[in-house]
Order: sequence, then structure tokens, then C-alpha cells
Amino acid sequence: MDDAEMQLTFPMPTNRTTIANKPMPSTDRNMTTRPVWDLFIRSFHWLLVTAITIGAVTGFILGPTWLRMHLIAGTIAVVLVVARIIWGFSGGSFARFAGFVAGPRETLRHLAELRRASAPRHVGHNPAGGWMILFLLGMILLLAITGTTVLGGVFKTGPLGFAVSYDLGSAVNKVHKLLAWGLLGLIALHIAGAIYESLRTRENLPLTMITGRKQARPGDHLPPSRAAHPRSAALIMLAGGALGTAIGLALAQKPVPHLPITPLDPTYAQECGDCHIPFHPSLMSAQRWRMLMASLDSHFGEDASLDEETRKKLEDWMVAHAAETVDTKPAHVFAQANPENPISLTATPFWKTTHKAIPDKVFKSKPVFARTNCAACHKDAETGMFYPSNIEIPAEAQK
Amino acid sequence: MKLFPNLILSGTLLAVALGAPIQPAQADPARDAIIAQFKAQAGVSSFSAARGKKFFHAKHAGGKPETPSCTTCHTNDPRNFGKTRVGKVIDPMAVSRNPQRFTDPKKVAKWFRRNCKTVLGRECTAQEKGDILTYLSSI
Ligand code: HEC
Ligand code: HEC
Ligand code: HEC
Repeated sequence: MDDAEMQLTFPMPTNRTTIANKPMPSTDRNMTTRPVWDLFIRSFHWLLVTAITIGAVTGFILGPTWLRMHLIAGTIAVVLVVARIIWGFSGGSFARFAGFVAGPRETLRHLAELRRASAPRHVGHNPAGGWMILFLLGMILLLAITGTTVLGGVFKTGPLGFAVSYDLGSAVNKVHKLLAWGLLGLIALHIAGAIYESLRTRENLPLTMITGRKQARPGDHLPPSRAAHPRSAALIMLAGGALGTAIGLALAQKPVPHLPITPLDPTYAQECGDCHIPFHPSLMSAQRWRMLMASLDSHFGEDASLDEETRKKLEDWMVAHAAETVDTKPAHVFAQANPENPISLTATPFWKTTHKAIPDKVFKSKPVFARTNCAACHKDAETGMFYPSNIEIPAEAQK
Repeated sequence: MKLFPNLILSGTLLAVALGAPIQPAQADPARDAIIAQFKAQAGVSSFSAARGKKFFHAKHAGGKPETPSCTTCHTNDPRNFGKTRVGKVIDPMAVSRNPQRFTDPKKVAKWFRRNCKTVLGRECTAQEKGDILTYLSSI
């Protein structure tokens, strides 16, 4: 960077910044402060911190059984971000994007001044901080869009359930995870920036996000003064919220293609439900069901033979609704069979890795009894969906 | 979804088991017909509940090692609820607790074929089947 040129185009009286970066003499107990972060901005900030924390903890650590909480946190984050964007065009001086989004030249100059320790004190966001706000908001929006795509494609629910295939959904899942790491990175930078700027300007910036007030110092860099329009902002937020909810609900109502058949054929539910839960036909391919139905007299160590008429009738029905006919997560993840025991679900690599963390004694406990007793933990096992929010290991089994 | 009717049935059976005095096994024309057919096949005029009891509770060889006895799934007391190897509850086998038992010839044939093969590695004879049904109808 050419510092000389910078200074030529933008001469900066150095004494101004020196004054601004120091607090008023501490003898002055009635230090003047000015309102900077309005109530909306402060509530927004800390609610967003809460929502993103919940989203990150449920997503990174707690895993699929916390999906519902993850979705609630994500929805709240998106509502907050959209409201913040509206406020960015209708709020007061410090809330407006126009007041803190600097052009590239100004941003570069600010960074150069930071390096020379001659940057002025911005009462609102400084140019670097302003860009950080935009990146954070944008990242959260991208996470919401990719998240909704995953929800639709992989879990066949939500506004995009009707439109997204499993393959697309699971590819976007990888992007969603990368973006989530990206957001964590941005948050780390944002916190580092806040600490750096707090030290540099000798003012506790995180605290100002609670009190809303900052010290008023001579030479402060202020954004152009703009009046807030809280009433019209609230109106736009409400109207936008209502419209968004209506569209989301309408889309979520659209029929989702390639769902598992429901209810089960009564003969199937009876004949294949005497010894264990009737496994949904969408969990395995037609080929594997044919194999299973050809060896019923020696079925996992038991004779489960049927008269030929019933056997054929069931096989036809199972084949007609096998994994190939649906687009659910279980149908895809169980498609990779274990060559040593191709007609088992619990022998598949996916089943083994997903259930690895569950101790053996849980499976042997009274309410579960066997690994194959999926319905003990998966309340929707018979539907073939195995939706994560419907997982609940019986409390008794964990003792 | 068979859970709900099953629960109601189990509940009723439990109420019967706990409260109501135990009634002697009720005769049922369909069950009588099934037993009569076993008599004809075996060429005998009566079955023995004592023999049936012995067979039902015995440990057999020849079948799968996981299931050496009828009691593996139906428990030592056929008046109790049993459990399959996958943990599914089996309603009591004793007719006194479950009057619907052995009234559907197809069902009886299917389960004798399966369970005898699983436990003994062979089909049961008409004599054995008749003894077992007589035993389970008598308790
Ligand atoms: C006589 C009892 C019995 C009947 C009837 C029966 N099964 Fe099974 N089935 C078993 C047992 C026992 C297992 C092994 C369970 C275990 O290993 O925990 C099993 C396992 C399975 C599995 C593999 C589960 C896994 O992931 O390991 C499938 C699939 C299955 N059965 C399908 C069927 C179908 C379809 C029918 C109807 C045609 C049927 N079963 C009827 C007893 C039965
Ligand atoms: C002891 C309880 C228990 C039993 C029994 C059980 N599961 Fe699970 N299953 C779980 C838990 C817990 C998870 C979530 C694991 C995690 O946190 O990643 C899970 C995850 C899954 C998932 C992935 C869900 C998702 O979208 O993330 C599938 C599919 C699944 N199980 C299928 C089965 C099938 C099929 C059976 C029966 C053959 C079965 N499970 C038996 C507890 C159980
Ligand atoms: C692996 C578990 C298992 C074993 C071992 C087993 N059974 Fe069963 N049995 C069942 C199941 C499950 C049913 C069907 C459930 C029901 O009808 O409630 C059944 C049903 C029956 C029925 C039909 C009942 C009816 O209502 O018509 C008869 C008869 C029967 N068993 C006899 C036997 C005999 C005799 C043995 C020993 C040779 C035996 N079982 C061993 C699991 C077993």
C-alpha cells in the first residue's frame, strides 16, 4: 500500500486521532456519553448471539436428535437478520448500512491507518467492522438457505420438501457444514476485532452493546445524522414476516414426491410383524427383499415360512414399494449393504456407524431388547422415515 | 399400526389376569375342530395334557441353539406374556388367558410348522400337536 499517496488524497490531522483515542480525563466523573446502539440493535445482537450459539451447539455437538431445536434456532436467527436488514434502511444514524458500509478505498485507508496507529475513532462501526456485519448477516442467510435445502432434500420436510432431491440435499449438506465453520471463523474475527478496538480506543465495546452508550470525545468520527422510522420499520417487518410465513407454510403444504407408502399393507403388517416390527419396504431394495423372501424357512435363525400364495403376494407388494421407489434418507443410507449379510439393516455400514455410540447395555435393556427393535427408539420406524426428532432412547434403557 | 389394539387386548388380558377369577378354558367349536383333525391324523381317540406339558417345557435338540424350547419365547408359564427374540410381546398361550388361541386352523398350522422347525429342526407330529393344544387348553 502506498501510504504517501493515501495521505496525499486524504490528509489526516494526527492530533485529532490522538485525542479521540483517549478517554476524557478520569477526574471528570460526568463523562459525557451519547446513545449509539439503540434498543433494537442491542436486542438483535444478543438474541442473535443466543440463537447462533444454540444453532452451533445443536449442529456441531449434540447431533441429529436435536434437529428440532436446531431448526428453531436457525429460524429465529433468520428472522432476526431479516429484521436487522430492514432496520439497516430505516433505523437511526448508527443502524443504517449507509452510515457504516464504507467503499473499498475508504476501507483500505482505514486499515492502513490502523497499521500506522493513526486511525480515527469511529463511534459507530468502523469500516472493517462494518464489512464484518455484512459478512455475518450474509453468512447467516446462506446458512438458512442451505439449511432449508438440506431439510427438504434429506428429511423431506419444510418449505423445500417438495422440490429438492435427496442427492441435492445431501450435497448441499456439505456446503451447509462448510458455511457453519465459516461463520464460526467470522465470529472469532469479530470478537478479536472488538477486543482489539476496545484496547485501542480504551473503551469496553462489548459493554456498550449492553448500555447502548459510548463516550463522547472530541474528534469522534460520526456517521451522517439520520432519523429513525421505527413505526414504518415495524410495519414492514410485520408485513414481511406475515408474507414470509404464508409463503413458507404454503410451500411446506405442497405434496412431497416419492415418500414411503403409508399405511402398510395389513397382511404384511400382520405376517411380518409377529416377531418384530414390520420393517418398511422402503428400507431395502427390491433385490434384497426378493433374497429375503426366498429364504424365509431359514430366517435369521428362525423358520418364518409362509404358504406360497401369501409369500408371493407379500413379495410383490414389498417390491412395488422398495427403496428404489422413494427418495428418503433411510432408503439411501441403507442402500450400501453388508455383503456378508445383505438382507440385514443392522449389519449395514451406515447402521453400525450411526449406532456405534449407543452402549450395548441399552440394546439389551428390557424396553429395547434387541438392536432390531428399531421402534423402541425410533417412534416413526414403521413409516420408514426415521426422522431425527422422533428418536428417543427409552429412559429406562439408559439406567 | 397394531400397537393400539394390542395394548387394549393386553390391558384386558391383564385385568382378567389380575382381577377376574380364572375361568376354566372355554370350549370353542373351531378349536375343537382343530383338535379333532389332529386326532384323525394321529389315529387316536384322546390326547394327554401331561405329555403336552412335558413336551412344551422340555429342552429339545436338533433346532437352532438360540431356541432350545417352546418356553424360550412363550415363558415357563404359558399363562404369562411371552417375548420374541426381537422383544415383541407375545400374548399368553393359555386358552384361559387368551380365548382366541387355536381358533384359526391356518394360523395354528403356520406356527406349529415354524416353531417346531425352529426348536426341534423338524415338524411336530399330529400326536405332539394334539397333546400341546390339550395342555394349553387345560391351564
Ligand atoms: C418367526 C418370527 C419371524 C417372522 C414371522 C419374521 N421374522 Fe424377520 N426376523 C426374525 C428374527 C428372529 C430376526 C433377527 C433379529 C435379530 O437379529 O435381532 C429377523 C430379522 C429380520 C430382518 C433383519 C433385521 C436387521 O436389520 O438385522 C429383516 C429385514 C426381516 N426380519 C424381515 C422380515 C420380513 C419381511 C418378514 C415377513 C415376510 C419377517 N421378517 C418375518 C424373526 C421373524
Ligand atoms: C437403542 C435405541 C435405537 C435402536 C434400537 C435403533 N436406533 Fe437408530 N438411532 C438411534 C439414535 C440415538 C440415533 C442418532 C444417532 C446420532 O446421534 O447420530 C439413531 C439414528 C438412526 C438413523 C439416522 C437418522 C438420521 O437421519 O440422522 C437411522 C436411519 C436409524 N437410526 C435407523 C435405525 C433402524 C433401521 C433400526 C432398527 C433396525 C434402529 N435405528 C434401531 C437409536 C436407536
Ligand atoms: C422364537 C420364538 C418362539 C418359539 C421358540 C416358539 N414360539 Fe410359538 N409362537 C411364537 C410367536 C411369535 C407366535 C405368534 C404370536 C401370537 O400368535 O401371539 C407363536 C404362536 C404359536 C402358536 C399359534 C397360536 C395361535 O394362536 O394359534 C402355537 C401353536 C405355538 N406358537 C406353539 C409353539 C410350540 C409348540 C413351540 C415349541 C416347539 C413354540 N411355539 C416355540 C414364537 C415362538
